[in-house]
Amino acid sequence: MSTATATNSRAAPSSLAASRKFKTFATTFSIAGPVVYCGTQYFNWPLFTYHPATGRLVWGSEAARPGEGPNMLWYGWTVTTILIAAGLGIVAMMLPERISRKIPLALVWIFPILTIPYVIYSLMPWWTHP
Amino acid sequence: MAGLVSTNTFWSLWLFVHLILAVGLLGALTHQAMAVALPVRQPAGGIVTRFRAVPAAGYATAVCVLWVLTFLVGSYIYTKYRIYIRIPLEQGGYYKTGGFFDFKEHVASIGLTLLPAYWYFWKNAKNPEYDNARKGVTLVLAVMCWFLFIVGHVLNNTRGFAS
Repeated sequence: MSTATATNSRAAPSSLAASRKFKTFATTFSIAGPVVYCGTQYFNWPLFTYHPATGRLVWGSEAARPGEGPNMLWYGWTVTTILIAAGLGIVAMMLPERISRKIPLALVWIFPILTIPYVIYSLMPWWTHP
Repeated sequence: MAGLVSTNTFWSLWLFVHLILAVGLLGALTHQAMAVALPVRQPAGGIVTRFRAVPAAGYATAVCVLWVLTFLVGSYIYTKYRIYIRIPLEQGGYYKTGGFFDFKEHVASIGLTLLPAYWYFWKNAKNPEYDNARKGVTLVLAVMCWFLFIVGHVLNNTRGFAS
């Protein structure tokens, strides 16, 4: 970013953006997020299940019931992921700075790329359906 | 909304809102991605150069807000997709189309989790320590956004507006 555009675009950080604690929280959240999401989906840990045909919301995972239409787990997986990633971010904030400073920032973009093959694999029933 | 518009129109309007938000997000992220991937040394030039020469840091908060809003509206209309779109898709044997929608929902959630670091890196654009991470996460989000947009567009063509 050693360019005219980059130089012009470099604004002074706000108070939140200047916080080292927030940096640790944000990077830990974003590094953990894709991995936690895949784990949540693999182990099927939705915080809740939504049944759109009846509007019923239940804690945890619940299979579709006969005559009540499909179930939706994705909302629950996403909320579980946000809660776990936020928890990990808060724990990381409590670490001494000499440790939290060593978190590799490149993992923020490497992990989401690495999760894509798993996501494609997890959808195999769709791809191989006769 | 009962009595004002039909049920079909109501959900089509929300789908349209989802589309408009997605277009804004796609434009902002594409500008940013171009600015970090192919930075401009001289701001003047042709349309492509000017497209790359945006003040990219100013887009960060807007991108986060747009991603969250698009995500929330998409989540809202997803309930209708699950019943009125996905079931007919399965009945018609369009399994790969349905698979790509599930792929889309996973990518949207994974992208959502990247936003805090993305925002932090852009709000500290003066700090060269974050240059590589900022470039990487911006490009990843831009590719995700294009994927989400194209899959959504194809799905809408398969069974979307007014269906």
